[in-house]
Amino acid sequence: MPQAKTVLIVDDSRVSRMMARQYITGLHADWVVTEAATGEESLLKAREVAPDLVLMDVNMPGMGGIAAAEQLRQEFPAIPISLLTANVQTATRERAAAMGIGFVEKPITEARIAQLLATLETA
Amino acid sequence: MTAMHALPAHDQLALLRSILCAVNIGAIVLDGERRIVLWNEWMIRHSGLTQDKAVGADFFAVCPGLRGGRVDAAIQQALYNNFPSLLSQTLNKAPFALYASALAAARHERIQQAVEVTPIAVDGAPRHCLIQITDVSIAVAREKLLREQTMVLRSQTFSDGLTGIANRRHFDVAMEKEHRRAKRGGTPLSLLMIDIDHFKAYNDHYGHQKGDQCLIQVAAALAGMLKRPCDLMARYGGEEFAMILPETDVEQATLMAETIRARAHGLAIPHERSATDTRQVTVSIGIATQKVDAPVEIDALIGAADRALYQAKRAGRNRTAAQLP
Amino acid sequence: MSMFDLSELENDALVEIFNIGVGQAAASMSAIVHEAVRMSVPSISFIPRAEAARLLGGRDPAGPERICGVSQHYQGAFETEAILMFPEDKSLEIVRLMVGESVPLKELTEMEQEAMCEIGNIILNSCVGTLANIFQHELQGSLPQYHVGTSDEILTATGSGADTVVLMLHIDFLLEKHQIHGYVAFVLDISALHDLKGQINLYIARAMGQA
Repeated sequence: MPQAKTVLIVDDSRVSRMMARQYITGLHADWVVTEAATGEESLLKAREVAPDLVLMDVNMPGMGGIAAAEQLRQEFPAIPISLLTANVQTATRERAAAMGIGFVEKPITEARIAQLLATLETA
Repeated sequence: MTAMHALPAHDQLALLRSILCAVNIGAIVLDGERRIVLWNEWMIRHSGLTQDKAVGADFFAVCPGLRGGRVDAAIQQALYNNFPSLLSQTLNKAPFALYASALAAARHERIQQAVEVTPIAVDGAPRHCLIQITDVSIAVAREKLLREQTMVLRSQTFSDGLTGIANRRHFDVAMEKEHRRAKRGGTPLSLLMIDIDHFKAYNDHYGHQKGDQCLIQVAAALAGMLKRPCDLMARYGGEEFAMILPETDVEQATLMAETIRARAHGLAIPHERSATDTRQVTVSIGIATQKVDAPVEIDALIGAADRALYQAKRAGRNRTAAQLP
Repeated sequence: MSMFDLSELENDALVEIFNIGVGQAAASMSAIVHEAVRMSVPSISFIPRAEAARLLGGRDPAGPERICGVSQHYQGAFETEAILMFPEDKSLEIVRLMVGESVPLKELTEMEQEAMCEIGNIILNSCVGTLANIFQHELQGSLPQYHVGTSDEILTATGSGADTVVLMLHIDFLLEKHQIHGYVAFVLDISALHDLKGQINLYIARAMGQA
């Protein structure tokens, strides 16, 4: 369904958020991108905007990405969540799979974002 | 005599190939598509794979077990980033199936390997990479031997020079370990402080040489009573010994202490100057037990055993006494 | 000479790039030890070489701390000496955790030094590789070299002159609940610094869709 979606990007790096925003709006100009800089902030923002997709950086100070993703998953069982990380190892894969969460490998590229959005569309 | 660079290119290449094939190192060259373009003599000899099987084949078809691993990552670093990688023997146990001999191959005993993956620039072609494999089996064996010898030496510095049993340093280390273990395992830990009665008087009367012999004899007899590998008997001070008894409660410790007391007495070492009416070498023993539900610091346990020992001495020696930590 | 300063955005970009680098290195190391390994770069700073030596020297009045370092030389689009450093007792901890054995640094055998070299090789190649990829420039790298000594000795041995600047990365390394703090130092001269700044700004411009 070609309706405009809302994406929540969570990353403590502003440049990283800018990059993700750029790639998403490059593929879908009408989509709305909201940003959060911390795990805590992401929970507040999610309740506020009810996103259709959440991209969550793993490596953040304070409440890390995985803890925030777990909580989001509990509050919003249906929203697709994708972890963003350069450190893809067995433990990460297993934890993500158990939570019903996907991941996108860093560095974020247009191709990787496109791939993610494509898999969501078919889901 | 012609310098190499003065040779025609074709001859240079032939010479280099011969050299690469002759060196005493495994050399594999992969092109940009990870196809094997060179598989030298050393590789043939130790892998059992001939030139025609290897050259032209996809590297991961020849070495399927290496896909997705450290060697794969190193090849990627070389081909894409132009960076060399080092694979130490310590962290990468024999990644390639290479054997020193047919017998070793039958026993599946691989050569110990140190591996380097280096990018190679090629005129008019995408980057290639060179995989060098060095046999470090001898170095590994040497280091294993060194380590074993160090362990032997180290165990010697944990021994008391005179009696040969554990020294104070060993006791301290063991105490830390057993204390932690008791806490984690929820088991009781007992400590016995054993002191030879009137030892100064023994030394004064019989001389220091006999005094030393007495210590050696008592230490040997007492150490010989240890039943389990975790029990430790150490020389704590001049004529004082300490026995660590893990997983031992008050009753068991008291029983052990009494057995020790009897054994020491049973040695029947004459001691004319003993103030006890036995006229033989005897020991006093202080017992302290850390119970499962009441953990204490190591100092407190030792302190209690010391107080118990003092109590035994005060009560007439050649006996045991216990104190709560 | 005014100290080399980065804007908040430039700093953000560089920290993020290095976090990606060490993140990938952590994944490689995790594959080696079959345990979860986490690495991050909480902060970076540009400091003069003398200050870098002091930072790593420890606070012991009896004398500077001995550290273990692994260095690699890179050249091409820019030139730098990259050095991974851990305080002496921490590097033995890392080797012990990676190798799985207890070894005092004095006894660090040649084979274990090699393991430390490989760890340095993985981390440094990952950091510089990410930098090179994102800046779309190519470099050549050397094989790792092992050093033990004071930070001053190591920085001197790796050829850093008095007028060089050190880009210092603070590294947090987490394995089996052991948290170890180390450093990666990039020794840069003035032209390399300017190249770096220029590249960061191109990267930011691309991120903002302006390039």
